[in-house]
Parts: sequence; C-alpha cells; structure tokens
Amino acid sequence: MRIVAAFVAIVTGLIVLLGYFVPAGSLLELRLQLVQWAAILAATAVLVGVVSLLGVHWQKISTRQKNSAYSILLIISLVTTFLLGLLGTNNPLISLVLDGIIVPAEATLMALLAVTLIYASVRLLRRRADSMSILFLGIAVVILLMSAPLPIGMFPGADVVKWFINEFFAVAGARGILIGVALGALTTGLRVLFGVDRPYGGK
Amino acid sequence: MQLSPGLISAAVSFIFTILILSYLIGDNPLFRAAIYVFVGAAAGYVAAVAWNEVIYPALVGPILSGSAFEGPVQGIAVGVPLLGSLLLLFKVSPRLSSIGQLPMAYLVGVGAAVAIGGAVLGTLLPQISATFNSFDLVSAGVSGADTAFMFFNGVVVLLGVIGTLAYFHFGATQSDDGSVHRNPIVNILAWIGRVYIAITFGVLFAGVYMAALTALIERMDSIRNFFIQLIS
Repeated sequence: MRIVAAFVAIVTGLIVLLGYFVPAGSLLELRLQLVQWAAILAATAVLVGVVSLLGVHWQKISTRQKNSAYSILLIISLVTTFLLGLLGTNNPLISLVLDGIIVPAEATLMALLAVTLIYASVRLLRRRADSMSILFLGIAVVILLMSAPLPIGMFPGADVVKWFINEFFAVAGARGILIGVALGALTTGLRVLFGVDRPYGGK
Repeated sequence: MQLSPGLISAAVSFIFTILILSYLIGDNPLFRAAIYVFVGAAAGYVAAVAWNEVIYPALVGPILSGSAFEGPVQGIAVGVPLLGSLLLLFKVSPRLSSIGQLPMAYLVGVGAAVAIGGAVLGTLLPQISATFNSFDLVSAGVSGADTAFMFFNGVVVLLGVIGTLAYFHFGATQSDDGSVHRNPIVNILAWIGRVYIAITFGVLFAGVYMAALTALIERMDSIRNFFIQLIS
C-alpha cells in the first residue's frame, strides 16, 4: 500500500506539474481533470475533518471530561448549521446563522486584535527592547500616524514618508520574504514529488 | 414590537459581540461558550458548502440523475472521485485509516504540483522580474522617468531582497577548532536583511492594526445600531 500510495502521489504530481509548463492540449485537459478530482476529494476531506471534530467532542462528552459542556454547545451548533445548510446556502435560516453568529464572531475576534496587539507591543518592549524591536514598533507607529486622519489633519509630508518607507524598504523586505516562502514551497513540493517526504502516511 | 428576521439577527449578533468582547476582562466561560458555538457553526457551514457546492453536484447529482451512466467518459469522471471519496471516509476510523492513504497520496501529489506551479509562475518569476525591472533604465528613459533615481531605488530594493534572503540562510562552516562560523559577507547581508524585515513587519503590523481598529469601530457601530433598532 505504501509503494502504491507513493506511486500515485508521484505520478499525479508529475502529470499536473507537466501540465503547468507544457500546456499541450491533451496534457492540459488531463491536468484540469486531475485538479478537478482533487477539488472533489478535498471537499470530502473537509467532511471527514468535520466528522472527526464531532467524534473528538462526542468522546469528550461520553467520557465526561472537564469542560465537556462546551462540547455539547459545539455539537449542537455544528449539527444545526449543517442541517440548515443542507436546505441550501441561500435559505433565510442559514443567513441568520451567518449574519447572527459567524460574521459578527469573526469581526469581533478581529476587533479584539486591536487591544491584544497593543498589549503584545508593550510586552515586546518590556521583554526585549533591542534595536530591531524599537525599529519595528517605531515604523508601525510612524505608518499609523501618517495614515490616520488626526484632529489636526494629516501630518505634513505624510504621503512622502509613507511612500519612501513602502517603496524602498517594505517592498524589498516583502519581496525577499515572498521569494523565501516560494523557495520553501518549491523545495517541499519537490521533496514530495521525489518521494522523500510522504505526508500521506507512507514512511 | 414585531420580531423581524433582521431584528433577531441583530439581537444574536449583539449577544455574540458582547460575549466575545468579554475576553477583554480575561478568559471566561461566556467567551468560551461563544467561541465553541462559533467554531461549531463555522464547521457546520463549511461542511454544508462542501456538500452543496462540490460533493452533491459532482458526485451525488450525476448518479441520481443517471448522467454518470451515459458513457465510459462520464462514468470515469464520476467513478474515480467517488471511489477516492469512499476510501477517504475510512480516515475517520483510526483502525481503518490506512485504507484512506491512496486518496490522501493523490491529494498530496496534486497539491505539491499546484504548489510548485504557483510558487514558480505566481511568485518567483514575477518577484524576480519586478526586482530587476528597476534596472531597465532604457524603458525608464523612454517613458521620461528620472533614471538616476530609479537606479538608486533599484539598488536599495535589490540590497533589501538579497539581505532578507541572506537572513534566512543558515549555512555555516566548521573551523579547525570545532567552532561554527557563518560567512562574514552573509553575516553583513543578514544584518541588513534584519533591518529590512523589521521595517516590513512594522508596516504589516500597522496595516493589521488599522484593520483590527476598523473591525472594532464596526462592532461598536453595530451595537449602537441594535439599540436604535430596538428603540424604534
């Protein structure tokens, strides 16, 4: 099974990769078909993940672990939302779940960041007030001051300062990080395609 | 007072906003309860979307309508992902999860290829060409741009890109006494890279903070609107 699994991963990966760089008619069609099947399998994997989440919390309830009351809430909300969702993602009840729970909860968690980021910044200055930490927070404060409409209006030359920081330094740093991430993704992908890494279970 | 769907939605939204904001006074049962309900609802919604938008139209629908049995091409197009999906379901059971290895291997293989294609065509080539485009002084001269300034900008950006990459380079050589040393040139470039990274993360931090502040203002506004709706 391990060898077959590795063979499947390598062959499908190579066909899809070839389809990217050799966009010949039949190869391109095959790549699109393989990617489409992968999308269907990914959707099934999402269902498997949700069932697994249900299983973990069901076990917490059945073994009466600490805080299992929260697991009851999770299971009720999960099953209810799923059943409502089966009626169609445009029905009014699922809209109520979206507008009443999911969107406000996400927005409020984002709003909490406004406080926790300040707290984290203060902690950073207390624990490691070296030159790079001060530069990092200093730039953040400068960008915030240059972006915010203050009661006295915008700072004179705010646009020039922001442009200078962005175009000369932030672009270079972001580009370096992006290239580094892409190189990492490339290496990890090649390791999978060469069968060195087998995250699907074959060791 | 009439209970309209809008008012019910606003009331539920108000309750969840208050429960989650209660985290500001510390981790508490109300916050936890809200988060568990939110995680359950989000997972249920994602599962419903996966079923309605992908699994039903691609697998279940063609079988129920009979279109999957119209010919060998249609049969393969539905049969292969159906078989993969059925095998994947074994992943739920820890004892039988090894049966789900094949579809997982397929997913990982396709995922790796898509990641490589995306990394090379979507990031590496565009970013590298953008870095070197700053030195295209002929085109800049034709378009009337200040070539000296553009060249200076290109040098500063190139230095930053190389410095940032050098910062993440952890190669070192071992000297005769056993101590490990980084190449001095890489060391200098890595220090320059640190400065660029600190500035970049500072800019990103400011962006995230502004987004969080916008979300906080929006939530406060929604609370105010709920009370206005309640009164009116």
